[in-house]
Amino acid sequence: MLMVFSISSQSRADLLTLGLAVTNVLTGLVWLSIRPKSITPVGPQGVECQEIYSHLPESVVSEILWVWESLSAVTCCKSLVIVYDCQCIVQIGVAAKSLNIDEPFAVDAAKLMQGSLYQGVLKSGAQSYMANLSLYPGRSELPFLPSNTQAVILQPLGDRGIAVLGGDTIRGFTTSDQTWISYIGEKLDATLAKYMSSMPSVVQE
Amino acid sequence: MTILTTKTQLLNPLIQLKTPLPLKFRPKMASISARLDNSQQQMNLSVLRFTLGIPGLDESYLPRWIGYGFGSLLILNHLLGSDSVSAAQLRTEALGLSLAAFSITLPYLGKFLKGAAPLDQTTLPEGAEQIFVMSENVSVAQKEALAWATYVLLRNTNTTSVLILTQGELCIRGYWNLPDGVSKDNVLDWFKSSIEETGLSDLTDTLYFPQTADAEFWNILPQGTRSVLVQPVLLSPNPSMNYMGNIEGFFLLTSSMRYAYNEKDRAWIRAVSNKLRR
Repeated sequence: MLMVFSISSQSRADLLTLGLAVTNVLTGLVWLSIRPKSITPVGPQGVECQEIYSHLPESVVSEILWVWESLSAVTCCKSLVIVYDCQCIVQIGVAAKSLNIDEPFAVDAAKLMQGSLYQGVLKSGAQSYMANLSLYPGRSELPFLPSNTQAVILQPLGDRGIAVLGGDTIRGFTTSDQTWISYIGEKLDATLAKYMSSMPSVVQE
Repeated sequence: MTILTTKTQLLNPLIQLKTPLPLKFRPKMASISARLDNSQQQMNLSVLRFTLGIPGLDESYLPRWIGYGFGSLLILNHLLGSDSVSAAQLRTEALGLSLAAFSITLPYLGKFLKGAAPLDQTTLPEGAEQIFVMSENVSVAQKEALAWATYVLLRNTNTTSVLILTQGELCIRGYWNLPDGVSKDNVLDWFKSSIEETGLSDLTDTLYFPQTADAEFWNILPQGTRSVLVQPVLLSPNPSMNYMGNIEGFFLLTSSMRYAYNEKDRAWIRAVSNKLRR
């Protein structure tokens, strides 16, 4: 410490000025912040499909199409599956190929609803976001999504259904996307509940 | 039951906005343009902070303290300096003092960065009241759609007031300044005439004003508006469209924050406007 006083006053002034310059540069860096590594989207491998349960009224179908149009335009969502009241209502976007045929993989609604993913989401009542699907063992419960789907959002629709959204980028859904999706989920639930309750129950094959 | 609760929430005129609005007095700030370009607007600027690890200490003011500390040390050094002070030392001290002055003003300048701590900038529009009005002759389905759209826009984006005009019907929600003498019944008429003055009904492109001056150019906007977004409701392109064009109306969103709507927000607002077409 005493060494400080033995150096000349000019050197001390230089050191102080240097310290101030470094502070300013660091503040500038803080303001600019470092951009995270940009992640490239991975095109999903599968078959394009657009299947909507045929007994739905026109208004519900147009609402579902609006949801799909918004999600695919604004977010990185490339596949959408909606299961409600133990039936698969919607399967739009890219779906996995069924084993050797060029047909989309059919969604087994009953199996999905008994699986741990759905049960977990039902119990918590909240959205579940799997930002990097390859890290999650629950992947096996979603065979209808393309095998290279990067991110998945599971949105519960009330307590009667679930919407599965598959994205093509790791961490592709931002927090604002997530909030919008939860509000859209509530709206869909309200719409579907109104119409499904007046439908005769369909016999499971 | 679910439907009932959603409906009551949708139709409740008093909605909790996304950004809480503190009622503190904000001094008028001169507008200084920040040096970051537009592409960096959405970056999260709080990724790197100075941290000394001391809880309760606000490190964003660290440059200011360092400026004061080192500046005073420089002056002390100059006064206690031995013998003659060389020209080189004077240059260094001049540079050092100007850097110290700059450091001291850094936290103040940081407030003007686009996107820096946006929550601090929200204010309640003065003299505004929360209203929720809708035109009379809308179908139930349309009513629900309008209620949901306004609800979602107020909750999910930094909007304080929203006005939707579609197929000749109005829906207004949020904080608005109603001039004196406009009673509850005349509200819709007053809005209709004000909209005609602005000529927004013929808009074909999205308008976004991220920084309006405090004097709003349209007298319809509530006071304290800082950003305005006008999104036309476009019909889907159809070759058999008649000569009237393909606009069905527009959404008018205002916020008391500058740069309130980023790319993603605008994309979602476009998506919501598509819901109300047809």
